[in-house]
Amino acid sequence: MKIVIGLFLRASVVLTGIALATFALLWNAPGDPALAIALARYDAIVTPDLVNEIREQAGFNAGFWPAFQAWFGPILMGDFGNSSVNGRPVLPDLMSSVSYTFPLGIAALAIGMALSLPLAILSTKRPGGWLDRFAIAVASIGNAIPAYWLGLLLILLFAVQLAWLPAMGARTPSHAILPALTLGLGVAASLTRIIRSGILEARGQSFLPALSRRGVPQNSISKDHIALHAAIPVVTVFGLELAFLLEGLVMVEVIFARPGLGSFLVEAIGARDFPKVQAAVLLTALIFVVVNLLIDLFYKVLDPRIGDHDA
Amino acid sequence: MRSVLVLVVCFVLLAVLGPLFAPYDPSAINIPKRLQPPGGEWLLGTDALGRDIFSRLLHGARWSLGLAFVVSVIGLVVGTSVGLIAAIGGKFADWITMRTTDSFLAFPELVAAIVIAGFLGAGTGSLIFALSVTGWMRYARVARGIGLSLKTRDYVIQAKLAGLSNVSIARWHYLPSLIPSLTVVWTGMFARAILGISSLGFLGFGVQPPLSEWGAMLLDARIHMRSTPLQMIWPGLAVLISVLAINLTGDALRDSLAKDNAK
Amino acid sequence: MLKLENVSVKRGKSIALKDVSFKVDAGKTIAVVGESGAGKSTLIASILNLASLASGKISWNDKPVRKISPALVSQEPRAAFNPVMTLKQSVLEPIVGQKKTLLPDRLNRLCKGLELPIDLLDRKPSGVSIGQAQRVGIMRALITSSPLILFDEPLSALDAVTQKHTARLISDLQKEEGFAAIIVTHDLGYAAAFADDIIVLKTGCVEEYSSAEEFIQSPKTQYGQDLRNAAFALGALERAS
Repeated sequence: MKIVIGLFLRASVVLTGIALATFALLWNAPGDPALAIALARYDAIVTPDLVNEIREQAGFNAGFWPAFQAWFGPILMGDFGNSSVNGRPVLPDLMSSVSYTFPLGIAALAIGMALSLPLAILSTKRPGGWLDRFAIAVASIGNAIPAYWLGLLLILLFAVQLAWLPAMGARTPSHAILPALTLGLGVAASLTRIIRSGILEARGQSFLPALSRRGVPQNSISKDHIALHAAIPVVTVFGLELAFLLEGLVMVEVIFARPGLGSFLVEAIGARDFPKVQAAVLLTALIFVVVNLLIDLFYKVLDPRIGDHDA
Repeated sequence: MRSVLVLVVCFVLLAVLGPLFAPYDPSAINIPKRLQPPGGEWLLGTDALGRDIFSRLLHGARWSLGLAFVVSVIGLVVGTSVGLIAAIGGKFADWITMRTTDSFLAFPELVAAIVIAGFLGAGTGSLIFALSVTGWMRYARVARGIGLSLKTRDYVIQAKLAGLSNVSIARWHYLPSLIPSLTVVWTGMFARAILGISSLGFLGFGVQPPLSEWGAMLLDARIHMRSTPLQMIWPGLAVLISVLAINLTGDALRDSLAKDNAK
Repeated sequence: MLKLENVSVKRGKSIALKDVSFKVDAGKTIAVVGESGAGKSTLIASILNLASLASGKISWNDKPVRKISPALVSQEPRAAFNPVMTLKQSVLEPIVGQKKTLLPDRLNRLCKGLELPIDLLDRKPSGVSIGQAQRVGIMRALITSSPLILFDEPLSALDAVTQKHTARLISDLQKEEGFAAIIVTHDLGYAAAFADDIIVLKTGCVEEYSSAEEFIQSPKTQYGQDLRNAAFALGALERAS
């Protein structure tokens, strides 16, 4: 219980730190944010008075700490403020964007698992065999291929040349196939390597020969022991994979013009829409921190030998 | 170790000398000859403004590989220093630096780089800053881990008794033992930096036109996907091959280190 | 004169050293014996200022010990040298930044005294024998002319012949250089043959503190008695006397 509270405390400190860092970045960014907002809202008819008015409204005159408090306080209550460009509340837009991103992320993970698990298991049947080499080669290329380029290649092949699938937007579920495939292939590439070395490492564990000698049937050895030992790196990888997923989602959503969290963030940055950027950053951080927290807890349950995960 | 060196030399040569072999000025606009197919006068064809794609790729190496090199080396220096401070500086320094490192790791690095580069405004400086600020943590963790294991070595204690300053001890007794592992980390981070620079370029937050960074070239090429799809292949292929070469070298180095350790 | 007064050291929550007091005069040798875990390493660390004291005081002629920068001869001869540096670089480490004019002379004399060829110093630790490495370790301790040198199990890594030889060398050099020596060892024979005083540590406390002759003839405590008898049974003390 003490551990759980400690982890939560650490997570909230980290989240506050990220909120502060983002705010400081926006605060110190070159260019006048009020002017940017004015331009975004009223196009060419911007007067100095108008800019001043916006500056006052947004609390830019008050100084760093009051401005930070004025923004961060309401967020703790669940109020992310209004877009500084179109004046609409941020939260509903943010939630709607997540509703596009979340299923895409899950689908990508599922595709990644479905491809990598059989490939990794088959490749470790005979380490060094042709299948193993094939798996390593595919995984190496998959790890090196930029996600945005892979996405464009898939569009080129399936949407432009073959015209089998739609590429841009998110109107129908079939619009999600190419983006999910793009991300899923990337996930599969790194998962294959990690699951493969996880299995090989678990097999090399010194207690396995002892179990064989003791007459434990081969089948149950692989099921219980190897599976458990492969599970720890897989969970670790899930943490790493999450970073890859979130990064990939940004690029893939932009390429496929999907109105998800990534597009939300990139558009908000382009428009210098402070409240939206901050909301997207905080949500990303929240997802990241919470998932890693769960992974830490999982470790403590799964393997008591791993004491403090950060040691 | 030697293979990494060879790779670095190749990349440096490519970035420095590559442009000399460019048959055309990479930013020379030639509208009548726009969107030419590969082959013939233009080895890889021309882009929407009639610029020679092959020349642009060669010049782009300077940005895509050169900047990635700079970024990864900045990360190496910063991260190693942080890690060594954590390992040598005592409990408090360790706590502070490692909590900082954890906080920086508590956000997907590339997303952070996008936010930072996007807000600092386009430009090479902010690009380097954005990717360096988000690219030092892995070095710090590795350096700290090895550093802590060296702390109780007899020769480190002897150096301490000899009255050497912490900086000298770090330089002479810690750094040499860190180099192999840090080189492995560095190859991974170099590859990441190449991907990062081209990703930011592709989003329009990175190196700005008319400079022919590979990601930015892809952004240009994307619009003409239907008419000249091949245009889109080359910059992506350049990124893929570079990253693949670095990763494979890094893997080989890691395996050979693991073998050495097992001996 | 090195003086420890009621020194206690904590390791985490447990007590590693409790109320340890003794003194060593210049030119004299004290041997610290005891089982592993008795607090010998902690004692060395606290004299070398590598462990903080919970209470008590360690001084050299009423000044803090760090002023005289005591030297240490490590237990593992090769591990005491950075594997990528030459022995010479390691030996000269304690005197970087000092005047180097007297140096070649001093190095030559030490090499002679330790029976080491001078060009041996240009090798790396992996290129010399353990006995040679240990003698280079002693050279490093001597080079600063520190008045206090700690020997942490100086013989344990060596074979029997080299042990005798090295013990004799240390003793001869001490007569010449006049340093005070603290020798941590579990070899009672060695302690009895070369030390002036003997301290027996047990679970962090001084169990017995007597002169070497006293200890061999009649230890004051039962534990000292047991140790001595065990050593006799192994033949270690015969060798010494």
